[in-house]
Amino acid sequence: MGCGALAGLIMAGYSLFTARGTSTLAVPPEDVALVNQQPISRSDYLLQLQTLYGVDLAHATAAQRRKVLDDMIREELFVQRGKELDVASSDPDVRAAMVGSVELEIAADALTSQPSEAQLHAYYEAHRPRYASEGIVTLRDHVFAAGESGAGSPSVKAIDEEFYFAAKIHMGESLFDAARKLPDGGVSDPIVRPDGIHVLHMIKNEKPVAFDFAAARDRVLSDYRNEAIGHLRTGDEAFLRKRANVLIADDVL
Amino acid sequence: MVRITFILAAWAFIVAAVLARSSYIEARLLRADPASIPGDAMLSGFGRERGAVLFEGHCAICHGDAGRGDSRRGIPDLTDDDWLYGSGSVSSIEQIIKYGIRSYHPRGWNIASMPAYATVQASARDGRIPSLSPGNIRDLAEFLVREQGLHADDAAAARGAALFSGAAGCYDCHAPDAKGDSAIGAPNLTDRITLYGDGSRESMAMSIAYGRHGMCPAWVRRLAPAGIREAAIYVYSLSHTAGAE
Repeated sequence: MGCGALAGLIMAGYSLFTARGTSTLAVPPEDVALVNQQPISRSDYLLQLQTLYGVDLAHATAAQRRKVLDDMIREELFVQRGKELDVASSDPDVRAAMVGSVELEIAADALTSQPSEAQLHAYYEAHRPRYASEGIVTLRDHVFAAGESGAGSPSVKAIDEEFYFAAKIHMGESLFDAARKLPDGGVSDPIVRPDGIHVLHMIKNEKPVAFDFAAARDRVLSDYRNEAIGHLRTGDEAFLRKRANVLIADDVL
Repeated sequence: MVRITFILAAWAFIVAAVLARSSYIEARLLRADPASIPGDAMLSGFGRERGAVLFEGHCAICHGDAGRGDSRRGIPDLTDDDWLYGSGSVSSIEQIIKYGIRSYHPRGWNIASMPAYATVQASARDGRIPSLSPGNIRDLAEFLVREQGLHADDAAAARGAALFSGAAGCYDCHAPDAKGDSAIGAPNLTDRITLYGDGSRESMAMSIAYGRHGMCPAWVRRLAPAGIREAAIYVYSLSHTAGAE
């Protein structure tokens, strides 16, 4: 019984004095320094060494190691001082950076969970119109000046193998909407526009082709994750508001 | 009663000894220069064994059980010696696992994101990147085919070269010689190692037209520092013979 108690005490003492976040006696092995118990990560130190001097630990001189460590300690000291001074309450750049960082943290956390194939399939089915190739048109836009009643040669505007989105920008929405319905070789009815009467001659209309799931999976995954991040951010904000004590002056709203 | 007490005490000592040994080796693993670990049989073996478990639980779902990836999904093969990000060293891999790629973590590899040239806004980050026409995209694909040493239409490849080093802005990430930049994760387009698709004109055109935004999560808040290092050692081992360095 005495031996068991002794073993238990040894294990408890070991855990107490080496558990992360509680050590006051030594720098944890994953860190290179503690600044007021705030760790400076060893892997970040190595990265900084590589970034600043282009060397790994084995090839860094003592002066280089000292410089990088001093810089990182200085940064930590000033960050801690910034918290003491509550700089976030007055510096708009710090506030913006903090908001951005918290939003990024929410997103980064969301991304560690991988959706299942079934979830991705369901998302793909629910948003199928998004996952198609961009259509391509080649057409001629014959423009007759208003009032000529067909006399005289029209001006001809060529749309040569453009994606749908580009053709829409160049032609305008109403003309493009008429054009996209035309088959190869098709000719539109006259379309009256402020700049004249348009007759569209479709030479080739390659309509969007839906991607199968395999081809679209990359984008489906990206969209699924972005939507999940949006939900999380909304949820986090709702949670923060709910637990916060927000008082609003009577005359504001 | 005495015998049971003795057995329990002995068992407690054994467990304590095992835990203490693991903690000791783990501490040595963390304090070691990452570059030296592959040459240390004890540390690398310890790291590989533990890293394999972590890989199976967190990474295999994308990278596959053997780490061979999937070009249909843009998942890189971790068993070859082609590294898109960094140098493929233990510390480079460790940084990727820790902070991710396009992971939204501020310290992640977030710069490289392939624009979607067949959309009205090719890049959400840089409005100067123009949209391209279908012909432009075909020409760029032909240029890349030529750069890979394959038979290509010379005229189309020449037009593609002009786009690559000019209006399309490809040189900015992929370097003027199209050999990529591992400092930002822009792939070498002159080799035949493809992250997406089968290297055909069609798959290259698909990447140019619709962009690519593969992602590796940041595990810094989900895995302990020791776990991240162990996973890095395991991933490193997938592309290196055991213990040799």
